[in-house]
Amino acid sequence: MSKKYCIFISALFCAFIGLFLVANAATPSREFSEMENRNLEQMPKLSVDSLLSGQFMKDFETYTTDQFVGRDGWIALKSTTERLLGKKENNNVYFCDQDTLITRFDQPDAAKVTENLNYVSTFAENAGIPVTFSLIPTQACIWADRLPDGAPNASQTGLLDQAKAAVPGATWADLYSPLWEHKDESIFYRTDHHWTSLGAYYGYTGLADALGYTPVPLDAYTETVRSTEFYGTVFSSSGVRWVSPDTITTYVPDTGITVTSYTYDSNGNPVEVPRALYDESYLSVKDKYSMFLGGNQSLGVVKTPNTDKPKLLIIRDSYADSLVPFLTPHFSEIHLIDLRYYKLSIADYIQQNGIDQALVLYSIPNFCTDTNLFWLTR
Amino acid sequence: MVFSSLYFLFLYLPIVLLVYYITPLKWRNLWLLVVNLIFYGWGEPKYILLMIFTIVLDYFCGLIVARRKLQGDDKGARTAVAVALVLNLAILFFFKYWDLVATTFQHFGVGMPVLNLTLPIGISFYTFQTMTYPVDIYRGDAEVQKSIVSFGTFVTLFPQLIAGPIIKYKELADQMTYRTHSPEQFASGVQVFVVGLAKKVLLANNIGKLWDVYLALPTDQLTVSGAWLGVVAFSLQLYFDFSGYSDMAVGLGRMLGFEFLRNFNYPYISKSVTEFWRRWHISLGSWFREYLYIPLGGNRVKKPRLFFNLLVVWAATGIWHGASWNFLIWGLYFAALIILEKAFLGKLLEKCPAVVQHIYTLFLVLVSWAIFAVEDFGHMGVYLSAMFGFAPAGLASPSVAYYFTSFLPMLIIGAVAATPLATKLWKKLPEKPMKVVLPVVLLAGLILSTAYLVDATYNPFLYFRF
Repeated sequence: MSKKYCIFISALFCAFIGLFLVANAATPSREFSEMENRNLEQMPKLSVDSLLSGQFMKDFETYTTDQFVGRDGWIALKSTTERLLGKKENNNVYFCDQDTLITRFDQPDAAKVTENLNYVSTFAENAGIPVTFSLIPTQACIWADRLPDGAPNASQTGLLDQAKAAVPGATWADLYSPLWEHKDESIFYRTDHHWTSLGAYYGYTGLADALGYTPVPLDAYTETVRSTEFYGTVFSSSGVRWVSPDTITTYVPDTGITVTSYTYDSNGNPVEVPRALYDESYLSVKDKYSMFLGGNQSLGVVKTPNTDKPKLLIIRDSYADSLVPFLTPHFSEIHLIDLRYYKLSIADYIQQNGIDQALVLYSIPNFCTDTNLFWLTR
Repeated sequence: MVFSSLYFLFLYLPIVLLVYYITPLKWRNLWLLVVNLIFYGWGEPKYILLMIFTIVLDYFCGLIVARRKLQGDDKGARTAVAVALVLNLAILFFFKYWDLVATTFQHFGVGMPVLNLTLPIGISFYTFQTMTYPVDIYRGDAEVQKSIVSFGTFVTLFPQLIAGPIIKYKELADQMTYRTHSPEQFASGVQVFVVGLAKKVLLANNIGKLWDVYLALPTDQLTVSGAWLGVVAFSLQLYFDFSGYSDMAVGLGRMLGFEFLRNFNYPYISKSVTEFWRRWHISLGSWFREYLYIPLGGNRVKKPRLFFNLLVVWAATGIWHGASWNFLIWGLYFAALIILEKAFLGKLLEKCPAVVQHIYTLFLVLVSWAIFAVEDFGHMGVYLSAMFGFAPAGLASPSVAYYFTSFLPMLIIGAVAATPLATKLWKKLPEKPMKVVLPVVLLAGLILSTAYLVDATYNPFLYFRF
């Protein structure tokens, strides 16, 4: 090879590493990744302490990866390469049949599951009101036939049996059967971990006996399409960019329903923020599922015009957001508590607000990994 | 700091190269020393002090050895060498093996505190490297290094500081004082570096995920085919990871004007275990030969003594790989095989067809990786018996089929890349098309590696035990 050509090769390499050095320095840091739906690491603060402990370096590494110029494009390039190489999963998400992405479900930590079930059991015994308990099986269970052949998949039905037996103080509601019966319908999103409004409806029918209502037939409602451009959380974490978007629909009209979110301002004073059953402003951002009740909140109260009906408290994860609309005809108030954020006594809350019955409802993967259920017993 | 990271590739490296080449020749070693220490202290800054202590210690020991030699005081020179070796080994023992000895003693009821110290990164590599310095001076293989900056640069040289190759002082002595820099050398460094980066990021990390599945699998779910699939994946992961790091070291060295010897020479095409060790981690084998095996008498001794020497060398080689007893067993396993091959097996093997020799070697090496990679003895027992047909969950399972089919293209690429085939074909390519293909291949390697680093869910550093 000639000297000239060697200079060319050397320059090519230096240009490549130098180009990204300059590009990374020149582009401003992003606060939030819409695509991944999470906050990105910012430039860590330099101090003698953080340098000596090595914390600065650790944060800096995350910072360089999070803020790498063109991050979303690189992630898409990797997942596409993985697929070309014959891989059937990327970042714990299976590439499934029927244009579906499904998060892997591996055998959960048995001790954690038992511990969480114990918290629910203790709560059910001491609540002083009727408690219903149920867990929502997810895509990996109901849509297992869409998974790649032989893909490892831990049993969710086994966990349902265990959960039912472990909480004798609560009424168990079986959501597996109604979901399984309708597994050929669009009961889950193909790109998000939640159930669709249709799936939530079947969940609502499964809860009917335990919560004591007669479900409104589905054909009494008109389906409204809210968005046909929804890419959910599984889409984000998979890095996959070749699937078609999901459609978000709703059934229940929101006439006469008010929603209030209780939170604290930056000074620690309690504040009430009005929310809506359907907040359409979220339809123009990536996180469209937050259209239901406006997304995560510590404590939310839904008030309906049916003031003669009972008051329900739901200890829940985000699956409840799309379930709540179906419950509105049967309750005067629905109180929603997310234990990730709500750190006050649940027993006090039940007393102070005259709650008539409680529902503990989580998806199986969330329940198995949740680290906040002990707040139930406070 | 590790090479396979975005901040190394796109921040540290361009700055190091830029300042290095605009700095006058005589200040370049000082610049290298500064950036070496940053590289070393990145993960654990306190250990920079330990590194400086090591540099000062060996620097002065070297001066004393040289002076005593000049004065004709052989005994004094030997004493200085011995002091240097003992202190270096003591530091290595304290940081690396103390807890192993302590927990073992506790097991037998002797109280010894467990310290839980973080292992200084690359300590086994650079300790072995610095120990060659007083010995080489004593043996007259190298001149004493008067400049503490140049000596410090040798000890901490970032391209091979944390994962080898282990360079002997005599190999680098001249280059510390005088080295040439040319576009030819830089361009060849670029090629070797990008190949190494791709081996680590695209092959090793990818195939390594398959091994992790089988290492983490509850033993009651282990199948015969799964156990083999897992260990094959580990063999490819370790080879591409380790040889990838060595390639990156050689490449970076060339970019800075250094020439290091190659560390791997397609070990998996070996026809005997003895040959495997001439091709695997060459710099470690050569270190043990020159600084332990030959001083013990080498092979110019009677048979029993020879076998004893081999046992000592292989026990040391084994435990060098990590403070855990399975590494000792792994070393002794190779001692037994090499003694057998020296005694009669080697001659017998030569008479067999080549395919038998390859199968023999690969089989024994794969078994050795199970001993190497599964540290817990109970787990290792189950894993090995699964490989030999006694698996708790039978021959195969649907999940083995799943993993096998989804990793098959990677495994085929890996198996081919572990042979000299690609290099041979590359060399046959006429110059004109090669000139077009080379930049395309380099850019593809860089771009794909960057993509895999940006979305890195799995990027282990395998030598944290070494």
